[in-house]
This record gives sequence, structure tokens and C-alpha cells, in this order.
Amino acid sequence: MQDRRAFVMGAMAMAALGLAPGVAGAAPLAKVKALGVLRVAIYKDNRPWSWREGGEMVGIDADLGTALAKALGVHVDLAELMPGDDVEADLRNGVWKGGLLGFQPADVMLHVPFDRDFAAKNDQVAIVAPYYRESFQFACVKSQLDCNAPPLQYRGRKLAVETDSIPDFYLMGAGGGVLARDVAHFQTGYDAVTALATGKADGALASRAQIETVLAQHQEAAIAKRTLPLPGLSSPGWDIGMAVKENSRNLGDAIEEHLNAMAASGQLKAIFARYGVTWTPALAA
Amino acid sequence: MKGRFQRSMAGMAAITLALALGGTSAPLQAQTDAGPTEAQLMNDAKSTGDVLTYGMGPRAQRFSPLTQINAGNVAKLVPAFAASLGDEKQRGQEAQPLVYDGTIYVTGSYSRLFAFDARTGEEKWKYAARLPDGIMPCCDVVNRGAAIYGDKIIFATLDARLVALNRNTGKVIWNKQIADYQAGYSATAAPLIVHGMVITGNSGGEFGIVGAVEARDVNTGELIWHRPVVEGNMGTLHGKDNGITGTLNATWEGDLWKTGGGATWLGGTYDPDTNLLYFGTGNPAPWNSHLRKGDNLYTASTLAIDPDTGVIKWHYQSTPHDGWDFDGVNEFIPFDATINGKPMKLGAKADRNGYFFVLDRTNGKFISANKFVMKTTWAEGYTKDGKPIVIDAGRPGAPQGTEKGTTVFSSPSFLGGKNWMPMAYSQSTGLFYVPSNDWGMDIWNEPISYKKGAAYLGAGFTIKPIAEDHIGALRAIDPKTGKIVWEYKNKAPLWGGVLTTAGNLVFTGTPEGYLKAFDAKTGKELWKFQTGSGVVGSPITWEQDGEQYVAVMSGWGGAVPLWGGEVAKSFKDINQGGSLWVFKMPKG
Repeated sequence: MQDRRAFVMGAMAMAALGLAPGVAGAAPLAKVKALGVLRVAIYKDNRPWSWREGGEMVGIDADLGTALAKALGVHVDLAELMPGDDVEADLRNGVWKGGLLGFQPADVMLHVPFDRDFAAKNDQVAIVAPYYRESFQFACVKSQLDCNAPPLQYRGRKLAVETDSIPDFYLMGAGGGVLARDVAHFQTGYDAVTALATGKADGALASRAQIETVLAQHQEAAIAKRTLPLPGLSSPGWDIGMAVKENSRNLGDAIEEHLNAMAASGQLKAIFARYGVTWTPALAA
Repeated sequence: MKGRFQRSMAGMAAITLALALGGTSAPLQAQTDAGPTEAQLMNDAKSTGDVLTYGMGPRAQRFSPLTQINAGNVAKLVPAFAASLGDEKQRGQEAQPLVYDGTIYVTGSYSRLFAFDARTGEEKWKYAARLPDGIMPCCDVVNRGAAIYGDKIIFATLDARLVALNRNTGKVIWNKQIADYQAGYSATAAPLIVHGMVITGNSGGEFGIVGAVEARDVNTGELIWHRPVVEGNMGTLHGKDNGITGTLNATWEGDLWKTGGGATWLGGTYDPDTNLLYFGTGNPAPWNSHLRKGDNLYTASTLAIDPDTGVIKWHYQSTPHDGWDFDGVNEFIPFDATINGKPMKLGAKADRNGYFFVLDRTNGKFISANKFVMKTTWAEGYTKDGKPIVIDAGRPGAPQGTEKGTTVFSSPSFLGGKNWMPMAYSQSTGLFYVPSNDWGMDIWNEPISYKKGAAYLGAGFTIKPIAEDHIGALRAIDPKTGKIVWEYKNKAPLWGGVLTTAGNLVFTGTPEGYLKAFDAKTGKELWKFQTGSGVVGSPITWEQDGEQYVAVMSGWGGAVPLWGGEVAKSFKDINQGGSLWVFKMPKG
């Protein structure tokens, strides 16, 4: 299914550029193999996906990039990408153009939203290989909050979020702003959930991966997860995939093949499990 | 031991050279000269033989009393020489050169600093900062200028460092990190030197920063004071707490003040009369104004700061509760004028939001605000006590749901009625010359939006022209009445600084590549010269060997080319460059 979709979108993009199929050629995959290196862009400070620890890039995306390079029979070059104002900017810096100060474009960038409308707006890249379904989740200290209560009941409790994120907008705006004084802002969702797990907040709204990875490290914390949907939360979740340059489809195809094999063999699940995260296949996969 | 040997060898070389040249050569003088003093910097507006400060004086009026080149003869102005910045590095050249002791010092794109011989244009030395390739600057790789003091020339770099070089050799004297580029901080403004301190603002595109003004020892780069500009944050003086800014939670809810924005990325001015620093502050964060109720002080404001302690003396907020990305960073230029028969110490600022403000610079009291662009959709004007009369329908809506929100047309666009490019004030005509732009934007909530790989609610926008014949407009404004006395319209957006002289002249550059001269009283175009690339730097003038010179940087770039759409039609064919151009009158 995912192969077919990628093919259809690719054909559309090539048609838009006025290129006949086949013109893109076999160069990108052959180039990666000839050079013996796969350059993989991963986000800076994006725990549990990619972050720096003891000088090394670690995390689910770091391990996945390394595993894909290995499957292609080449070395990995993990390129730490500083996020811009939006993912469009990241695709420009990380994949199809490079940074103004010499950041070399990567062969593939991980953690790119796999979304048809978004892909249509970004025709300089091909978005392929969806590998995870992400969503926002609410978690709370069991003894402090009823995790399934309407959020407006959390007035007066400390609620942790990542600054300038959908969780931030949702809680700050809920009920016309009645929780605005209760929202505690953190640099990352990981930091927000860590505050929850260490008794510095009563609730946290963050991504499911952020919640799972923190709770795996703080098993002593009595944290509950909300099972009911949050009323009015704008995001139902999104798929995460990878981006290659528009003319690198054969590299994208090869990556998809290896990704499928890793999913089938349980290797993908094991990479996620290393960081306490349950692998959930993308809806589009 | 080795160092001492080298030093004594250098001394011998100098003596030998002195003997060979008869001891009067300019380069040798430069090596023995102790360099500009604080008193010289403060007198820069009057001293015509040099340009020692960004703004041609601490008040940054960009006015020269020179009259050799004037409205009557400027048509004859010709190039004396040009000097290329070289390398494959071009992009925007937004700098203002400095001139001292036979040398032109100018910063270039990619955090470079050059010293050129002011008589021949020959390069004396250059310094190129080694920049980490992971930096992703929001708005091109520009630098706006350096500061000179004693044996040092000091400038800021894209990776948020301040670098002090020996002005004769280009060798590093000190190099200090002033903020963490990894956290999204950068630095592009020219530093200001007051009371032996280097005063700088901060800049950063990344969310979560708090604007601040800082003072460092000019000899060592050590921090002396730090003043955050968002209320609730603690300032410091000599490493000790020095009081919080404003009143905690007075105009911010919850903990938003900790990440409130307000970056002071354009630097500031200084007025010796009142002994006050004036710094403008950026827009508040997050962008969605519906989530941060209150005025959000002191974002989108002008602040007066005591240079010795870093304490805020007064503030005036030009855009309370900003929801349009109207930075308040623009330069506040001190000037004196008689208002209603009363001589007053005033200051003026042309704001991103499209209004030209005049304040009492001793206490921040509001005098007037007048529209200097074609259209402001966000406000109808200002009340007598300096509050904007906001048009509610002109505020972009709160993002919600999964539908594209309604589109609001907003003017000025977020690039502003006036952006970074500095205006000038003529002591001869009493007018301000404001490089402005007439444009608007469609802005809507964008549900299909992602940030750092995660779903996000962003805003979509398209910048568009609002007039058939122009976007840029150089406007002469009478600060006593707020009336526009004349205007020059330009097809492409204006993005360069302005210079005015007692010779009844106004100079500014255009993206089309021209440096132009206008009659300061009438706005009549008197002269133009094609520099080969867009001009987005700030021109200067000085006198040397009895002749008056004019210089400007050429090199198209900055934030404008990053935005496409209809506006791009006016500049898409402009080539990049990177040159210093110097002009004078032909002899004989």
C-alpha cells in the first residue's frame, strides 16, 4: 500500500515538473552506494527521537538511520538539524537546498510528517516510508487528578506543556483561557513530561512517544494516561515518514523496502522499545 | 620568550620603515596612534574627518555638516574606487562603514570584517569568523556594522559572539560568546560603545528567548550588566541581582513572561544630554496573540536605560498586545525641536507598525504618532495619551480546529512600514528621512502545519503590494507636524539606510542597484549611480585630504528576497554582489 501511494504521489510530482518517468534516473541510490555513506538528517533536541548524549547522537531516529544505512551496506553520517520555524524550512535546509552557512543537504531526513496535503505543498522533496503513528496524549498524577475529567476541571493544577506547541495552544486557549495561569511551559515535550514524572506538575499534554519514554525511565511515578479523547483538540494524530530529494526516488524506494523488512522482522519494534516507546505503525503504512 | 623576540623584531621593522619613509607615512601613524577615545566617539556627529560610530554619532542622526558636495553640484559626483569583498560569499551587504585614520572598516555578509585603505581602496586585512555550519539564520547572513574604540574594532557574529580585533592588524584581542547559537540566538547589529562598555541587544528566531540589553567591558568583553526587557525577568549588575524588569505578571499571564520574546536585535542609540540608552524591543511570543492576554510589556516598545546600571528609566509601547508581528526594534533618534513654542529634548522612531512617533526623550512622554505609510489596517491612529485605536477586525484570529481560518488583510505586512534600515535626521531642514514600504499581507490560520516534525497550528501569509507603481517610498517627515513633506517612490522595496548632509542632500540606495541623491527640501532626484547589485547598506560621508567622500556597500540580500509572491516580481532579476563603493567630486 505504501509503495503504491508513494508511486502515485511521485508520478504526480514528476508530471508537475514536466518530467517523464525514468528521467530522474538511478543516480541517487548508486551515488550513496559508491560513496559508501548515507547522510541522514535528524532533529536536534528531539528526545526520544534524536538528541545528543556524551557527544553522540542517540534516539529512535538515530538508531533507525543507522540501521537503514547498514541495510544499504554503507556507513551512516548522522546530521544534526537545527529546527526552523516550520518543517518546510527544515526540508529546505535539510534535504533539497542545504543551509546558508554550508550545512550539506542530507540524502534522507527522518521525522517528516507523512501527510498528502503537506506533501503536495512541498514538491521539492518526496515524502516516503511512513514509520510511526504519533498523537498527543494527556497524562496525570493518579493521586492528584482524574485523568479523564473535562480539562476545565484542572483549574489551579500545574499542567506542563512544550512552549509553542499544539498542547500549549490547547490548554492556554481552553474555555477562553481559564487555565492560562496553570500552564507551565518547557523547552521540549520531554522536559514537560519529566516535570510530571518528578512531581513538579500534576498533568502533562505531550506526544505519546514523549510520555512513554519518560514513564519508562520513571516507573516509580504513579502516572495515569487519559483514555478519553480531549474535547476540541485539533490534531487527531499524524504519520511520520522520511523525505528524500524529489529526484532521489530510487533511494526512497530502497529505504522503504528495507524499512518494510525491518518492520516484518521485529527490528523496528525493538528500536522503539530501546527507548520505552511502543512502535505503532503509521496509518498510511 | 618567543613573544618578546617577535615584539622587538616588529619594533625594529617599524623603525626601519619609518626611516625609509621619512617617518610620516599614514600606516605608521596608525600603528602608534592610540585610537579613538570615548570623547571622540561622542563628538562623531560634528567631526567631519572620520566616521566613528554606527549612525554617524551616538544619536544616530546620520547627518553630516559637510557641504562641499551639495544639491548644486552632486550631479557631477563620480566613483573614486570600488573594493570587492571577494570569496564566493555574497548575499546581503547591510553594513555601514566606519572611517578612521586613513582606513575604511566595514563588515560583510557571513560575519566578515574588512579594512580598506581609504585613499586607494586596497585591502589592508580581513577577518572571517569561522561559523558553525549548523546555524540556520532566519533572515540572511547579514551584518550591520562595527564599533571602533582605541586599538580595537568590535563586531558581532552570526553565531552570537562579540569579536574585538586589533584595528591595525585584524588579529583577535578578545572573542566572547554572548548567547548560545544552539538555542537559536544570533547577532547582526552594530555594537554601541558608551562609558567604556560595549552595549548590545540580542536576537534569535527560535521560540523561547527573552530579549535583553547587555553591557560588557570594552577591554575584556566581560559582562557588566544584563537587562531583560520582558517584565518578571531578573536583571544583573556585576554578577549580582539588580531588580526584576517591570512588575511580575502585571501584563502577562502565568509563566509566559519566561519565554516572552522581545528580542532587541537592532541595537540602540545613546544620548549624552540625558545619559540614556534607547533600545527598541521585538514582538512578543508566541505569535498567537489570543493566548497571551495583556499588553505584554516591554515588547514592541522603546526603552530608556541607564548605561551605568542597566536600569530601565522609562518605556513607551508602540504596539500593545501585538498580534501582527510588529517588532518595535526600530532606532529611536534623539533630536531637539521647539514644539508649541517650547524648546524640547525629543526623540523619534518610525515603527514597523506604520506610525512615526515623537516622544519626550527625558521621560518617554508621548508627543505624537502619525501614519507614514499608505495604509494601516490594524489601527485608526493614536489617542492623545499614546494608545493605539485598534481596529478589532484587523487582528488575525485565534487558530482553532482543522479548517483554514478566515483570511485577514493586514497592512503594513509583517516586514513593516519600515524594517531595519535606519532613517536620518537633518539638522539643516529639521526633517526626518524615512525609508519605508507600502505593502500588506493576507494572513490566515494554517491547520496543515508542522513544526519540528510535529503537528502545529501556524499562520499562512502572502505579502502583496498595495500600490500599482511602487512598494518602496523614501519619505521626508516634519516631526513637529507629522506631515509628509515629500516622497520618492521606488518600484522595489527600500531596504537600505539613509544619509543626509548640510549640503541639502539625502542619499539612499535601492535594490535596483542605485545609490541616489535627492534634494533634502524638495525630494527632487539629483544624481544616481548603478553599483552593479542591490544597495541595502547605509551610506556615509567624510572629509579626507580636503575632499568630501561618500561611501556605501552594494550587495543585494537581507530578508526581502526570502519572501516570494507578487512582491518578488520587483526584485527577482537582481544579481548578488559584495562591494564597497566610494565617491567624490572630480578634480578641476
